[in-house]
Amino acid sequence: MRLLQKTNRAYFIVSGTAFIIAGVVFYFVISFFFRDQLNEKLYHDIKNITRSIKENGTIPDYYPFIEIREVPTQSEQSFKTIDTLIFDGFENKKIPFRQISLITVINNKVYFLAARDTLIEEDDLLEAIAIVTGLIFVLLLVSLYFINRKLSLKIWQPFYKTLNELKDFSHDKPGFKLSSESQLYEFTELNKTLEKLTRKVISDYQSLKRFTEDASHEIQTPLAVIQSKLETLMQYPGLKKDQAELINSAYIYTLRISKLTQTLLLLTKIANDQFPDKKAINMAELIGEKIKMFEDHILEKSLTLNVDIKPDCILETNFFLAESLLINLIGNAVKHNIKRGVINIRLDKNKLEISNSGEMISVPVSKLFDRFYKTDKSSDSPGLGLAIVKEICRLNKWEIKYNYENNLHKVTVNF
Amino acid sequence: MKILIIEDEKELVGAIKNFLETEGFLCETAFSYFEAEDSLSAYNYDIIILDLTLPGGDGLDLIKLIKDRNRQAGLLIVSAKNSLDDKVRGLDMGADDYITKPFHLAELNSRIKSLARRRHFDGANELIFNEIKINTDSNEVFVNGTILDLTKKEFEILLYFVVNRNKVITRESIAEHVWGDDISYSDNYDFIYSHIKNIRKKIENNNGKNYLHNMYGIGYKFSER
Repeated sequence: MRLLQKTNRAYFIVSGTAFIIAGVVFYFVISFFFRDQLNEKLYHDIKNITRSIKENGTIPDYYPFIEIREVPTQSEQSFKTIDTLIFDGFENKKIPFRQISLITVINNKVYFLAARDTLIEEDDLLEAIAIVTGLIFVLLLVSLYFINRKLSLKIWQPFYKTLNELKDFSHDKPGFKLSSESQLYEFTELNKTLEKLTRKVISDYQSLKRFTEDASHEIQTPLAVIQSKLETLMQYPGLKKDQAELINSAYIYTLRISKLTQTLLLLTKIANDQFPDKKAINMAELIGEKIKMFEDHILEKSLTLNVDIKPDCILETNFFLAESLLINLIGNAVKHNIKRGVINIRLDKNKLEISNSGEMISVPVSKLFDRFYKTDKSSDSPGLGLAIVKEICRLNKWEIKYNYENNLHKVTVNF
Repeated sequence: MKILIIEDEKELVGAIKNFLETEGFLCETAFSYFEAEDSLSAYNYDIIILDLTLPGGDGLDLIKLIKDRNRQAGLLIVSAKNSLDDKVRGLDMGADDYITKPFHLAELNSRIKSLARRRHFDGANELIFNEIKINTDSNEVFVNGTILDLTKKEFEILLYFVVNRNKVITRESIAEHVWGDDISYSDNYDFIYSHIKNIRKKIENNNGKNYLHNMYGIGYKFSER
């Protein structure tokens, strides 16, 4: 919900409630005074009638406004005020009346005297009040809306500008600056704080990046030395079996660290968008090549490969990254497969689907693409393949999904 | 054949030199940009191994110098993995081949020999090991004069072995050489074994001897024993 909407809604609710309450109170107050005045008038009417009968014997009956009846003897009754409905010939319906009645003895005759006045005015009054309050209410709302809109357009404009600039913020783009200027203290403070924050984010990121790069590079050289020394050591004639096994074990682990640092470096480079060269890549051809790379592995595991590749998927991206994506996905499908399992690869214009048979995995799907997240803790692989895939997808704004259905692990990439 | 190794990591240079000298190469070394400049202007080399990340200067600048002074030399550049730009630029500037660090010594040896063959320093495109003859132009293998029917991968593996004869070759190195760097992370190298079994069988079927020896789980050695 936008701020303007929110404030407008609050204004609407609060002023609406206030206006309803004010209307009701207003009505009761007016109604009270109206009735009070009416009572007084009717009371005077009765008095006048009484006097008139006393003096003149009788006065004409103005039913229903004045009713004078002689009634059989009964005890006197003092003033009685009621609301009543009386049929009106003109309106052809019953309408409400206010009535003050009196049973009194005048000149030794018992009279029932009643003075009435219609309450129709009161209904009209209510209507008028409702209309007037309603009008004021609408007028107020409309003006509030326009004031708010103008305010939000004008006062909030630097804020929205800042917001838009922040949307373009990327931790790997140095020199980020907010351009909007405002007279308002809150916004200048906001911008100052944001600039400080973004500068910090950028510098932290840069140093982290440099660290990863430097560390990987620095580790790489000693590893290359160790690897070459071990390979030299292997050449010694007369090597015993147990010696050879020790060398081999050290060698295998050296290679593993070496692979790991290379992969970390690659991840950093992808995250830094250091693969700027893009060209049109025919994915169908590339997939064909990569499948060929794995044919011995597929044969070794006796896997059944089902391929459904449409030729019209051309992507504008970096070749190395596209290759890396496919190698990781196809490699995973081979590696995490079972003997005599199955791999399905489907490609059409905007979608790549790779599914494979394999053991159920117990990890939450959300963690699957995390760095160093392994389904099998004892596995040799460091668990970076899917992290690389995810980074490549993020960089290219492709959507990647994993799901498990019909005993198949399925990874879908929407280009 | 004279090789100049331009690389700043002395320990690594030692191992490379050691390995290549057992292969009959004459090796000289340069540990910095300036040393390399000196050596290049004073002597001629048949093959130059150049690490692009050198102290004292950009390795890419050295390529220009090499192309000026040692035009006939075969140039193999060494770059860090993932630095595609260096690789591409190096090749554009006239390098003959590249290898990424860290590398297997057997792989380096194979690259250098291939470079030597391509430059015809040996004047030969034939590798001969007893009754086995490999023609590297036509990619054919003869055993006792009979052509062997090898698959492409079997040919590559056999060539790798013959080039690195009498050396222990690790399975990892074979996997990287034949299947590529990206794919060799497999925790299972059984697929190599089946290829090696086939090569042995095909050679023996043509009355060749079995020169492929298993080395205690490390890998293999192609030798007369």
